[in-house]
Amino acid sequence: MTTFSYILRDTGRLLVRHWFLGILTLITAAVMMWILGITTLFSLNIQNLLQKLESELVVQAYVKKGSEVGKIAETIRAMEAVTSLTALSPEETLTKLQARMGSQSHALDLIGENPLPWNFEIRVKNAVEVPHLVRTLMAMPEIEDVVYAGMVVERVAAISRVASKAAVAMFALSIMITSLVVYNTIHISLYSRREEIAIMFLVGATRSYISTPFVLEGTFLALLGSIIAVAGITSAYFPGIRLLQQSLPFLSLVGDLRTIGQFGVLLVGFGATLGWVCSCIVVTRFMNSTTRPL
Amino acid sequence: MKIKFSGVTKVFKPDIVALKDVHLEIAKGEFVYVVGATGSGKSTLLRMITREVLPTKGSVSVGDTNLRKMRPSDIPYYRRDVGLVAQDFKLIPHLTVLENVSFVMEAMSVPSKMVEYRANKVIEQVGLWRRRFMRPPQLSGGEQQRVAIARALANSPSLFVADEPTGNLDFRTSADVMKILLAINAAGVTVVMTTHNQYIVDSYRQRVIELNSGRVVRDEHSGRYTPDDDV
Repeated sequence: MTTFSYILRDTGRLLVRHWFLGILTLITAAVMMWILGITTLFSLNIQNLLQKLESELVVQAYVKKGSEVGKIAETIRAMEAVTSLTALSPEETLTKLQARMGSQSHALDLIGENPLPWNFEIRVKNAVEVPHLVRTLMAMPEIEDVVYAGMVVERVAAISRVASKAAVAMFALSIMITSLVVYNTIHISLYSRREEIAIMFLVGATRSYISTPFVLEGTFLALLGSIIAVAGITSAYFPGIRLLQQSLPFLSLVGDLRTIGQFGVLLVGFGATLGWVCSCIVVTRFMNSTTRPL
Repeated sequence: MKIKFSGVTKVFKPDIVALKDVHLEIAKGEFVYVVGATGSGKSTLLRMITREVLPTKGSVSVGDTNLRKMRPSDIPYYRRDVGLVAQDFKLIPHLTVLENVSFVMEAMSVPSKMVEYRANKVIEQVGLWRRRFMRPPQLSGGEQQRVAIARALANSPSLFVADEPTGNLDFRTSADVMKILLAINAAGVTVVMTTHNQYIVDSYRQRVIELNSGRVVRDEHSGRYTPDDDV
């Protein structure tokens, strides 16, 4: 307990002594964590939208007359990309068509015998998998025809790919910049106290006693930066999505307090961990070079 | 604490021989001056005792411990038993006298009340009670050296290593510092001190070890300061 109080006091001294550098680090960490948070939220919303779109994507496969519907349905259900399959009889398809045509449905009476074949409504996991599924279905001899929103599927898949890559790139960039800033701050802090550290080693201070205040300094700055970032994100995000949903009510956005709260806690935890890891790396490297006997 | 150098050679890169085949033994409670010209290896010898420098060949033992074989995690605990005083004082400028002396004990997790009591006691012992809230830049060279001695005394070491402790001090202040070191030695603490100060060595006669180009050229009990080639 005594050691802990001395360490806390030394951490406080470090923060006060390098207050200007500390504020700079805090601002940079907060900005970077804010960018990281906003990018992740943007990516989450894009993924949410895409998932909704994908869940509504239906591939319609028409079965040749005389084929064994049950057997084909089983084969298609077993495919990895398929989430669900609904088999519609010719009568069901006709009823649906009549319903869709509304007042003009009497025109169908002119046809006489129901010409529609059995067909399957197939839902997929990802839009990306649709083209491959369609090719597989087309190659099946029992399938007469396949209908799907080709362009929509391909665009959705392309947006999904670009959004994922952009999010990963922003994520990596933010982590890199935050790590570098924390690393440099602690390095400067260590460098400015190198003589003091050397004296402490000479008079018998342990490595952990000397190192811990520096590690705590880095962790504290990154933690505080993350908290400021989360406060910034939440104060901008909720009004932002309210505004968006007023003008585009069909958009499905991530906006529940619980999810955003969990996201905030994760971001703060991530920021503190990042600060801790960076500080540990720089302190270990510095201490190794300082304590090596000649 | 007994100190033993057995066939110690130290070569710094690329090819500087600081010590060459040094054999010597210092008994517990002895007071030893290490004298010699600049670059003769005096500081290297002391830094081997504090385990800042390891021998290229041979071994250095303090007490029953071979310093080369010491585990890195044991070094801080060993150093707590070695009081160190340097020519440049090695004080932390932004800390007060009291804080400079206290932090050695704080590093050992000594409770704060005990730290305060002990720090005040050693500060009083070196005659700096009135200056305890001042910072090193506000003190004279002699006073700073006394702070360094107080800090070295804080942990009640059994070995005291002083690298030219009177090097930056005037005649009178050097004599004051010497009186403190002799009092420490009188309490049974082994003292090893490097010096260039002929007056000190000749006035307070003790064992003298003279180094020349890294070799021990003289080891004399109650000796005088008579290096021929001192710079």
